[in-house]
Amino acid sequence: MPAIDRRLLQNFDWTLLGLAGILATLGLVNLFSATHQPEGLSDEMRRQLIALGVGLTAAVIVTMIDYRHYERFALPLFVGSLGLLALTLLIAPVTRGSRSWLFGGRVQPAEFAKIALVLALARYFHRNPPGDTSRLRDLFWPGVIVALPVGMILGQRDMGVALLTLLIASTYLPLVRIPWRAWAGVAVAAVAALVALWNFSLAPYQKERILTVIDPGRDPLASGYQMNQSRIAIGSGGLFGTGYMQGTQTQLRFLPTQHTDFAFSVVAEEWGFAGSCVVLGLYATLLFWGLVVARSSKDDFGALLAIGVVGCLFWPAVLNVAMVLGLAPVIGVPLPLFSYGGSAMVTTLASIGLLMNVSMRRYVF
Amino acid sequence: MIGDRRARLGGSDSTIADRIPLLAALIVLAFGVFLLRLFQLQFVQTDDLRRQSSRNYVRTVRLEAPRGDILDRKGRVLATTRPAFAVQVIPNELRRPDRTLRALASLVDQDADALRNAIGSPRGRARFQPIQLVADLSEDQRARVESHLYALAGVVTDVRPRRLYVEGPLAAHLLGTIGEIQRRQLETGRYADYRQGEVIGQSGIESLMQDELRGRAGGRNLVVNVAGRVEGMLDEIEPVSGGSVTLTLDLDMQRAAEKAFDPEVAGGPPRMGAVVALDVRTGDVLALASKPSYDPNGFAGGIAAETWKSLVQDEWRPLQNRAIAGNYPPGSTFKAIVAAAALQEGLIDPNRKVFCPGSFKLGRRTYRCWKDGGHGAVDLHRAIVESCDVYFYHLGLEIGIDRLAFYAKAFGLGHTTGIPLANEQGGLIPTSAWKERRFGEPWMLGETVSSSIGQGFDLVTPIQLATAYAAIANGGQLLKPRLVLRSVDPDGNVTDGPAPEVVGTVPVSPEHLARVRNALEGVVNEPGGTGGRSRVPGIRVAGKTGTAQVVGLEHTDNLSEEAVRMRHRDHAWFVGYAPADAPEIVVAALVEHGGHGGSAAGPVVQKVLAAYFGVSLEPPAPSAAAAPVTSSRVAPQPPPDQPDADAADGVPAAPTEGDAPEDPHAGD
Repeated sequence: MPAIDRRLLQNFDWTLLGLAGILATLGLVNLFSATHQPEGLSDEMRRQLIALGVGLTAAVIVTMIDYRHYERFALPLFVGSLGLLALTLLIAPVTRGSRSWLFGGRVQPAEFAKIALVLALARYFHRNPPGDTSRLRDLFWPGVIVALPVGMILGQRDMGVALLTLLIASTYLPLVRIPWRAWAGVAVAAVAALVALWNFSLAPYQKERILTVIDPGRDPLASGYQMNQSRIAIGSGGLFGTGYMQGTQTQLRFLPTQHTDFAFSVVAEEWGFAGSCVVLGLYATLLFWGLVVARSSKDDFGALLAIGVVGCLFWPAVLNVAMVLGLAPVIGVPLPLFSYGGSAMVTTLASIGLLMNVSMRRYVF
Repeated sequence: MIGDRRARLGGSDSTIADRIPLLAALIVLAFGVFLLRLFQLQFVQTDDLRRQSSRNYVRTVRLEAPRGDILDRKGRVLATTRPAFAVQVIPNELRRPDRTLRALASLVDQDADALRNAIGSPRGRARFQPIQLVADLSEDQRARVESHLYALAGVVTDVRPRRLYVEGPLAAHLLGTIGEIQRRQLETGRYADYRQGEVIGQSGIESLMQDELRGRAGGRNLVVNVAGRVEGMLDEIEPVSGGSVTLTLDLDMQRAAEKAFDPEVAGGPPRMGAVVALDVRTGDVLALASKPSYDPNGFAGGIAAETWKSLVQDEWRPLQNRAIAGNYPPGSTFKAIVAAAALQEGLIDPNRKVFCPGSFKLGRRTYRCWKDGGHGAVDLHRAIVESCDVYFYHLGLEIGIDRLAFYAKAFGLGHTTGIPLANEQGGLIPTSAWKERRFGEPWMLGETVSSSIGQGFDLVTPIQLATAYAAIANGGQLLKPRLVLRSVDPDGNVTDGPAPEVVGTVPVSPEHLARVRNALEGVVNEPGGTGGRSRVPGIRVAGKTGTAQVVGLEHTDNLSEEAVRMRHRDHAWFVGYAPADAPEIVVAALVEHGGHGGSAAGPVVQKVLAAYFGVSLEPPAPSAAAAPVTSSRVAPQPPPDQPDADAADGVPAAPTEGDAPEDPHAGD
């Protein structure tokens, strides 16, 4: 392990740290309200603080090792993550319809698999520059790399995370040079696949959730209920919100899973349009900053890593907010840095560590 | 530094960097959509969604207003509202349900398993909703439960107003009942501002004075969480108690009237009938009783189906208000009106004597007088005093049925009095036209004979007879019975009840009425009078006995032999007023199957009059010799100086049990 270079400290990316720090802090403030109880700190609050500590430690470690080493670790890490997923499939108990938790429900291997996947894809595209990828068949191996973890996550009946993983991988697609006609073929295949999925693979409750987005009044007591309550919470926030810890939807628990999936509804209710814009603005800035880091990376691997990390932040944020706003089905995707959840917090902070790693070393050479 | 051989230095020529704007555009697109959607929800739709939010968390609880009090004319409470304490359980908050329920069961004298079954196993939101286990705790149970509440997690008490009829069954028919408003009532204009589930007066004063007695319900806006659990209170509007209603009723007289129906001997058969006491000057209803009665408190918290069933199916029909809805032949009480009619028509010389041989022949039929040996020669005065049937057969035939009916109706008989209570019956005063219409047959003279002593088709209610005798007593004014003296609405505004209302004047001159009154006083006070049982020490009482013949039995199938025998007995009437020289009060009493007017109904009137005048009826210590006539059914001993006073009309001087005289008034 290399000694810490003084230049690294000089190039420390305060903007990135600041953005991530503010978002994580707001997330905690929000979690406090969402899980507020009269007697002391909630369990969720305590666990989230621990996860934050663990995540920061992981981020520091990830940051200290020069990212170029990760290209060598990429394959073993990827295989290791597949192994964990396989283990989960075999031994994890079924919780809430899916088999995705290890170690007594504390660790979600699919979260770590996303980072391993990003590393593997970055390594692949580094060796096979996306600018040279002009035919669909060139995407065969990347496809295999993506299909392995996604397939196993699907095996866990965790639709949301599988979709999310797929979308994260798709962040690399704009980089390849495949003509539009080929994409049209892919689109047809995708539609066919979706139809097949709808008819043969989706559980009735999952179909229900999707139909609910199209028609929220459909079943106000089941999946429509969550969406409706979220809409009510957001709308009753108005321009400036009901005030911190004053949201009736939140405090009286009308919002479902308000500390995890619907954390953003709490922001929208208690801080209103103004607060929501601030949070969304911070996310957008963080993502743009990630792209700036990718652009200014001294090598392609760094750029590919940074783009992967941006994908890891962008897609869950988009899926989550779209779901909360009633624009997408209710799929259990947490909002990075905001939602309660240890594995997600640790991996998100670790991926930000990766971004920091790339950012700090852009002037090293 | 460790370098990668393939790492290309310098990003500017990288094709990757060229594509980054695409990703940036994706981010802008996504967040742009989000901003639009936020604007839509938080700006455009915010009012609607805010309303939905408050619908979520605000639960409005109705606070029932206590119903107003019903008072007697002296301000004594007849009906009021008391707090009823209920025990409820919130399943989610039960700790160690088995132990808690066992403890609770012993506190409220119930079975733990029954409580557990009442709770069942609610799920979801229902777990946070209180479940009522006992609706109305006794004072003891409440004290026990409240002193143990600290140890009974999940058990709560709740207080609600509940109607209380302080005197139980007393004046039950007059006070009426309350009950949940019915669908068809809601559809009428009268209950426009009522809502389903509200409890309203369904009969009697409760219904008549519903607007005054109803309070104004309050409400409480509670903050509830998603489970329906109450987290706090937003605001509250206190309910306003209903106003009070002061009746014309006098509690003492009502009590005396009802007590007069107590079984003659402890455990004896129930006595049935009705009493109406009116102020002859105003029409004020001072007492209005119907027996058998029921306890209206049974209706206060929603009547149990079983209780209702037993009341409706009861052989003796306790729910019927006999005072206004019982149709009975007036019997000899009708004679006062026949006499007044004859005098007014100038058909008789009141001093002319008619010989009564004990029977009367019309064509081939013989009509008997109640007194086997006959009364001998009697003038009008003696005929009324001794209730001579033969004298009145003659009178009736002279007047004719239609003139007789004209006078009877003028005295208020045969149509409702207008007392503001539901289900008042009109009775029946027959005319020849009526019979033609009803049966398609001409009127028979024999029927006039029956009618002239109040038998045959004639039917009256106790309240009608009371108003008719009030008219005799007050010089000819027919009054509408009045129930309410004054009322106070929930805001404290006092409204007087309706003013005394004269609905007619009887077409009989004052001197003729005076002559009838004179005879009626003789009925009670002269030797040979049939009404001696109604005397009140120190008060001049006047009145008339009557025995209403029970014509036929509708159904006897499921009656005991004793009940059948009882049902064959005649109804007993007495209508009296006092003081005879300046009448203040009239009392009409009917004792169903009581036998003989003077002995069965007379004492009832006597007791009510005594209550009015505040006179004690302590019997003077009777010696056995002074009361030679003994009968287990004759309650009070007759005044010893009037040994013949217990000779009521329609009964031989010394009745023997089970030996009813032959029907003296065979109609035709």
